[in-house]
Amino acid sequence: MGSERKVTKTLCRMCDDHCGINVYTENGKIVDIDGSNHYWNQGRLCVKGRAGVDFFYHKDRILKPLKKVDGKFVEIELEQALDEIAEKMNEVKSKYGARAMSIWKGEAIGFAQQEEIARRFIHAIGSPNYFSNDSQCFVGRWIGYSLVAGSWMAQPDFENSKCIVLWGANPPNAHPNMTQYIMKAKQNGAKIVTIDSRLSNIARQSHVFAQVKPGTDGAVALGIIKLLIERNAIDNDFVENYTIGFDKLKEYSMKFDEAFVCKETGIDKETLYAIVDAISSAKNKVINYVGNGLEHHENGINNIRAVASIDAIVGGFDQKGGNFMPEGFGQSELTLYDEVPLMHLDPIGADRFPVFYEYRQECHTMTAMDTIISEKPYPLKGMIIAGANPASTNPNSKKVVEALSKLDLLVVRELFMSETAELADYVLPAASYLERAELHYHGMHQVATLTNRLTTIPGVQDEYQFLHDIAHRVGAGEYFPWENEDALNEWLVEPTGVSIETLKANPEGYQYKPLRYKKWETKAQNGEKPFNTHTGKVEIFSEYLENLGYDGLPVYISPDYIANAEEEYPLTMITGARKLVYYHSRNKNFKRFLTAVPKGEVELHPEDAKSLNVKDGDLVKVTSKIGSMEVEVCIKHRKEIMPGIIQITHGWKNANVNLITHDDKFDPIDGFPLMKAVKVKIEKL
Amino acid sequence: MKFISIDMDKCVGCMNCEYACSFIQNEDFARKDSNIRVNYYPETVTNITMTCMQCTEAWCLEVCPANAISRDEETGVVKIDQDKCAGCKMCMLACPFGNIHFNSTKLVSQKCDLCGGDPNCVKFCISGALQFEESEDLFESKRSSLDGKLQQLITDGKIKVKGGE
Repeated sequence: MGSERKVTKTLCRMCDDHCGINVYTENGKIVDIDGSNHYWNQGRLCVKGRAGVDFFYHKDRILKPLKKVDGKFVEIELEQALDEIAEKMNEVKSKYGARAMSIWKGEAIGFAQQEEIARRFIHAIGSPNYFSNDSQCFVGRWIGYSLVAGSWMAQPDFENSKCIVLWGANPPNAHPNMTQYIMKAKQNGAKIVTIDSRLSNIARQSHVFAQVKPGTDGAVALGIIKLLIERNAIDNDFVENYTIGFDKLKEYSMKFDEAFVCKETGIDKETLYAIVDAISSAKNKVINYVGNGLEHHENGINNIRAVASIDAIVGGFDQKGGNFMPEGFGQSELTLYDEVPLMHLDPIGADRFPVFYEYRQECHTMTAMDTIISEKPYPLKGMIIAGANPASTNPNSKKVVEALSKLDLLVVRELFMSETAELADYVLPAASYLERAELHYHGMHQVATLTNRLTTIPGVQDEYQFLHDIAHRVGAGEYFPWENEDALNEWLVEPTGVSIETLKANPEGYQYKPLRYKKWETKAQNGEKPFNTHTGKVEIFSEYLENLGYDGLPVYISPDYIANAEEEYPLTMITGARKLVYYHSRNKNFKRFLTAVPKGEVELHPEDAKSLNVKDGDLVKVTSKIGSMEVEVCIKHRKEIMPGIIQITHGWKNANVNLITHDDKFDPIDGFPLMKAVKVKIEKL
Repeated sequence: MKFISIDMDKCVGCMNCEYACSFIQNEDFARKDSNIRVNYYPETVTNITMTCMQCTEAWCLEVCPANAISRDEETGVVKIDQDKCAGCKMCMLACPFGNIHFNSTKLVSQKCDLCGGDPNCVKFCISGALQFEESEDLFESKRSSLDGKLQQLITDGKIKVKGGE
């Protein structure tokens, strides 16, 4: 009897790219995965996508609720776990108040929908304390661009662009599917510029590669702005009618002459001119795309604002071939910020980083660790973490472990045991993306996709079901009236005019609105705010920031390692360069992935390796003011990393770089921690 | 016939193709198992990707003393029958590109067979550098790529053309 091969189309969630996939099953067993012809990935996929098969049948996948008894995990039934968690939550609430409970959304198991559900849940039970990985990823770029232009969707119109400038971004490893769009643009004659401290994969295919010192991107951007203005290579109409603060920027940028920029950033004049040439010949078909490399600095937001100011003066916002601003799907909102406002309960970090809270309504995870330990300004005693591993990925891991261990109740929902799950009182099996039906949107093509629930595993809940069941047990059931995820989805699409049936019939994406460009022009004609900023204009100068005591202009501040160099810490460490097969701390338990990238390493310039007298594979100790960690040496080619700069990728249990990253130095505007310009020293062991 | 084309101006050296091929050959992500090979040369910042071109005049096929190598008349694929292969390695010596390697587990020669008509290296190529296309169509993409470059040179004022505006 032959087996029947069936194909189901859904979206991948092995990383944040959400590519369309074909999942092949034989007699109900998943046998293979490849790329579907979804709008977004058009038949291609990276190898992480296929590894959905690896994790689904992995022997270590958590499939039963675990409870810690005398320091050891024992399996319990789901109903017992839910009852006990609800009871302990009630204890925390009655003893310390509702705000002592919190929730933390991670990136491992669901789509954007899970974030909204988590936000809803925590407000429904009366606490404002919603946390996520976004205290240190994505949101720095989102806030930087939103301050200037009112939005940022990270979905520029690459394909039609004539100049793509990638700032601290390496799409082949971080957002693999973007690569094909960038390369199509290149084939059509676009200039590709990469600005990075490392000669990354995308730098290999760039016409211009500017190797800059970490955290000096703002100086490069202001230097570019000065030259563009001098050459009058700007969109004067746009600047005049749609921006605020151009004259102030023009005056300020004069300080960034070629000599200063080159000295500060490490690039040479020819490279700077080549970037300016590429931008000016593309007119407004220019995309500045910022990556995570610009976050994790003390001057990150202003560097990003300076980059966004380039888009502003060349008029690239929402242009075909520019920084496109997608329109939303218009689904029902799950959050309860209007229905249950809780600002008076002092969301953690909201007073310390008001811009971060105002723009994102989320709490600051680094402050949370201090709060748990000090109980100031109030006790934080309970936390539900879903698909996040802060014990590995937040800065200062030692403190994170100390803090999470101190909680009265820690619930971790996971696919596999993690450094964070080890600390939990309860570990619950979480449904993976193959066991959920969630709505997801791809801004570049304005398509909505409903993911396909391939299967369910008894006792393994999706995010909605779990929070629904807990809410009903702790007296917040009124906010979770939908019986399950499917009923919720019906409610979510109600205002859109697009039915669930339509979405089901279009598993490779349903375009909910045709693409429209230059919406600011139409909006202005209709008397609406052209941009979603405080003034409705593109804010090169931000009065909002100035009123909060920050600089109104994207003022450049030299990184600490340059301005206050210390002999004791002669090297500067960047972290977080992505490796294709891994997703932060994830996938380290897949055997074939370890064949490809077997271990964590410190990347060194040959000159530094020589002066330290180390060779490939030697064990070294890397020390910052936060702590020390041990890691093996990998000597890079002299072009691949700058002398004096080292790189260590995060997420390795036995070579954890976050033991030495800062949770005490932040960008003052968005509160992002210093993780990419860390003063360190290295000793050979 | 359809074959795998490689655009050196697009390859970012991500290794997805090697991993995807290795997975098909041996369910691992090991370089030694892959029929396609990406070499990166940092000094010149070049990625050079090589895989079997299914030569019309295939020297591997001609030299094979065991008659293990044959051409599929329909698809044009040059295939090694691993049951017939004697492991003499003559084909490896004959291939001028090094696109045949030795499978040290099965003790036979191994090369690309286009995965039976849906090559995994192409499906998992995220940059679009690898295409599976008709040999007749290859010129089209090469032309459009060159056209793009020429247009850029015109825009930059590096070459001048008469007419038009």
